[in-house]
Amino acid sequence: MGCNCSNITAQEREGMLVRTDAIIESVGTSRESVIPLLQALQNEFGYLPHAALERVYEKTEIDRAQLISVSTFYSQFKHAPSGKHIIRVCTGSACHVKGAGNVYDAFIRELRIGEGEMTTEDKLFSVEKIACLGCCTLAPVVQIDEKIYGHVQPGKIGEVVEDFLSLAEENEKEEKRGERKQVAGEIRLGMGSCCIASGCGDIYKELVEASRQLGIEIHIKQVGCVGVCAKVPLIDVVQPDGSVVRYPNVKAAEIKEILHQHFKAASPLKRLKNSVLEHLHMYHTDTTWDNVVWKPENERMGVIDSFLTDQRHISTEGYGVITPLNINEYCAHGGFEALRKTLASASRSEVVESVLKSGIRGRGGGGFTTGRKWEIVAKSDSRVKYVICNGDEGDPGAFMDRMLLESYPFRVIEGMLLAAYAVGASHGIFYIRAEYPLAVTRIRAAIEICRERKLTGDNILGSEFSFDIEVYEGAGAFVCGEETALIASIEGERGFPRQRPPYPAERGLNGFPTLVNNVETLSQIPFIIKEGDEKFRAIGTKGSKGTKVFALAGKIRHGGLIEVPMGMTLNHIVEKIGGGVEGDARLKAVQVGGPSGGCIPAELCDVPVDFDAFDRMGAMMGSGGLVVLSDKDCMVDVARYFLEFSCEQSCGKCTFCRVGIKRMLGILDKITSGKAESADIDKLEQLALNIKKASLCGLGRTAPNPVLTTIKYFRKEYEEHVKGICATGVCKAMVKYVVDDNCTGCTKCAKACPVDAIAYVPYEVHHIDTAKCVQCGLCIDECTFDAIHKVPLNKADGAII
Amino acid sequence: MKIRINDKETEVSEGEKVIEVARRLGIGIPALCYAPGFKHRASCMVCVVKELTGGRMIPACSTPVAEGMDIQTESEEVKQLRAMSLELLLSDHRADCEAPCSTVCPYGLDIELMLGLYDTGRLEEAHALIAAAFALPVLGCEGCKVPCEKACRRASVDKAVPIRTVIGELAKKHEPPRVETKAKTKKETEEAILFQSRLGRFTESEKELLKDSVTTPSGCLHCACEGREGCKLRLYSAEAGIKRTRYEMSSASPAMTKLRVTDTIRFEPAKCIKCGLCVYNSNDGFTFSDRGFGMQVVLPAESAGNVGASLCEICPTGALYIGK
Repeated sequence: MGCNCSNITAQEREGMLVRTDAIIESVGTSRESVIPLLQALQNEFGYLPHAALERVYEKTEIDRAQLISVSTFYSQFKHAPSGKHIIRVCTGSACHVKGAGNVYDAFIRELRIGEGEMTTEDKLFSVEKIACLGCCTLAPVVQIDEKIYGHVQPGKIGEVVEDFLSLAEENEKEEKRGERKQVAGEIRLGMGSCCIASGCGDIYKELVEASRQLGIEIHIKQVGCVGVCAKVPLIDVVQPDGSVVRYPNVKAAEIKEILHQHFKAASPLKRLKNSVLEHLHMYHTDTTWDNVVWKPENERMGVIDSFLTDQRHISTEGYGVITPLNINEYCAHGGFEALRKTLASASRSEVVESVLKSGIRGRGGGGFTTGRKWEIVAKSDSRVKYVICNGDEGDPGAFMDRMLLESYPFRVIEGMLLAAYAVGASHGIFYIRAEYPLAVTRIRAAIEICRERKLTGDNILGSEFSFDIEVYEGAGAFVCGEETALIASIEGERGFPRQRPPYPAERGLNGFPTLVNNVETLSQIPFIIKEGDEKFRAIGTKGSKGTKVFALAGKIRHGGLIEVPMGMTLNHIVEKIGGGVEGDARLKAVQVGGPSGGCIPAELCDVPVDFDAFDRMGAMMGSGGLVVLSDKDCMVDVARYFLEFSCEQSCGKCTFCRVGIKRMLGILDKITSGKAESADIDKLEQLALNIKKASLCGLGRTAPNPVLTTIKYFRKEYEEHVKGICATGVCKAMVKYVVDDNCTGCTKCAKACPVDAIAYVPYEVHHIDTAKCVQCGLCIDECTFDAIHKVPLNKADGAII
Repeated sequence: MKIRINDKETEVSEGEKVIEVARRLGIGIPALCYAPGFKHRASCMVCVVKELTGGRMIPACSTPVAEGMDIQTESEEVKQLRAMSLELLLSDHRADCEAPCSTVCPYGLDIELMLGLYDTGRLEEAHALIAAAFALPVLGCEGCKVPCEKACRRASVDKAVPIRTVIGELAKKHEPPRVETKAKTKKETEEAILFQSRLGRFTESEKELLKDSVTTPSGCLHCACEGREGCKLRLYSAEAGIKRTRYEMSSASPAMTKLRVTDTIRFEPAKCIKCGLCVYNSNDGFTFSDRGFGMQVVLPAESAGNVGASLCEICPTGALYIGK
């Protein structure tokens, strides 16, 4: 790491050191505080300046070796300043199959970013890829600073950037006016997984424009989403009394009417002033942050009905009703009843027994019987024990844990409290990805509320049981979802998994017994205790009990977040809940479990959702991403995509994962570029099987699954690739774009082409210059005469794809 | 407590590692990232053995024994995995064990060693080596097709080291040597060559770097590995009968970069297998940077003083060694 701040003045440097000292003062100087310290420094400076790091060596126990080791391991940390605005192109699985690669390339091209660079010359924008933004139903998705753009097409890059810049300009003006501004109310514009899809930008603009015309200052807040992604765009109007009125499928033309309805022009300010200011006050102080999206909604109908009918809500109980941070509402729905009942009348062993009997298995991926883990920790007579809630959900295409943490924080906390009581722990940690800022904020706020209500802290609800909870932010490493790596990271080390045994349940954090449970697992515990293990056991299959939350995305009509009873078939999920494959395509496969899971072919999609059934197919429940693939998707490309993710996320500790996966990727690169021979498929399979056997941790042991399942079920496609044919035309190196005689010379494609590969020749048949073409697909989308096709590169008159 | 190793039951004590038990019983298990008495964490997976009760492959070096374990150390499956882990490490190991010039010399002259003596001004010793190989005054190079110069690594950077010219110069200018040196015969040289790791092709940037940085009198890059004598990677690869890796060769570290850690200690990142022994056993010295395939073992310049010579002894390859 060379010096990255050579061009700052002595004065700037001095200021930097003062700020660094203040941060060190507030965060701490122990070796364990290295990650929070680096996070705080990066928040302050936007990157990790050399001078600040030198100060850290001087003033803390953290030495050079530790700091370099940690700061280069986690992807959150930056060693060089980036642009003023950061464009994050989501490369999650759902975005990938919808062309995120082209979108990324388009940003690099349009913003004229040099090769190997990521920042524009004027330092205005930096472009980076991000594993998953969790807005899978809006794919492809791009986030610029805080703003999310859905369905971004390579041809719309200019518009997106322009829109962002005009918004940024307005925001600055707003900030300047801010002090004098009086806000009449709040309008929430659904974002995240559902709303932005069709014309959210228009709605936003209309809201700004209409409020200005009507003289009503409103706070336009962009909020997340918990599932129903088909009723978009969707806005919630927060009335002065705090109640919310929802408008699904809203159109720009209706905005003014809605505003009139709620904020009558007859000098509303005075009347509302007090209540609104009070509301704002609460919002800013974060005590009862009532940022709810889901309020009672009577107008559920049509799509929403079919989407919801077959679902079963346990983790997501109170779906559409409960305000995330309203503890009274949670209690009114039976919240903390399980805890009360337990503390009043159940022994610790009875709780463990109940969880064991319920048959619940860990939702984080491995499917280990939760009760067994509890038993081991409970048995230990250690003075100190920990409970960790694993919220380091990093799978591309999965956002269940985030949604649970954001929308049902109290349920997860209650689950943790029950676990802590059962195993005799006194200290709990929520480990949440830093990429989930809202989840972090909500959980922090919820813990605070619980403390006020005597639900955490000393002598909870007047009992002997005491338990404290803190929040730890992960710094961006998929491998930290592995429990021993997660513990290493809390201890201030790089996220290297550790040798098991001893299991964390025996010797975990700081050497003490530690119960690590996934968010979703904990969120099912209150139900088991409150309703009884028999009732939980009655749901599901022989080996998999209860419900499972999935993120349903990809080539599906109605994607979103769903919770279904174990045992429901994939076909049922795709057809009944998801409304089938989108467009006129056919179902080809369902990718389950992200990078550790596999692809289940359409003909086997009558498989029930079940840990063991998935395992038998070579797939894996994983944490619960369901990406629907159609006959327009190339399975070799899908396998390569997940493997590339695993390769980037490998910690590097053991040979098989560090080098083996890289070599697998090398072979897949050869296959997808048409340079492979058929022996390579066997070589790939052999390598994959051995990596699965001999890697040290779960990441390596499961990373080959996407490749192995696609070879198993779609070997024909691999063989075609070896022969130089990618039947879907997804593998760019194997196809070219050609114009046929249907071309009328309308010049639409020539105008659309971002790289001038099509000459502007009106009324003549156009021609695509293959050398220039970047295969972004814009011309095909633009052409109204179906005259542009992808054809195999190695055949002169190849079949049209 | 009791466990079984290769079908034999044996008494073990709590906390013992599988590899310790095996070695105690005289069962050899190869291991790179393990050094008795030093801190280590499973990494190389060369010590992999099969635990039959759970059916899992485990690293013998760091798995503690547990009641009822049934360990198999020599099955085909285990051997195959071991060989694969070595092959994978070798695919990321862009280094020559022996200099190609030395391996091709029909007279068995260790040319790289001779050039090393020449480059450091020890001309008499260099001469002695030549004399032993060629039975001077008849110079073997006369009429030789000089495969050494064709094989020379420097040739792929700019131009080959003029080996024949150097030999001629030494033979002409200097008195017959007083130093007695017995050169190895060609057969002996062949036998001594355990396994040849291959450097592969230099990248353009590596070529530029080498062109500018290598300024020995002969121009020799000294590509032979100085740590090859004690290299376990080489030893185990030879034992496993590996000729060369079946996988694509690439590495995240530049080839042929020799860093001076102290006056005597040298570090060559390209030969490092990232096992971490030097990291875990130095205090604020070596450390890891980055992750995954791009992970490197690095030594911040400021921390060079924290590195002791004992680390050279535990490095399983020629990445960290006492320089000549």
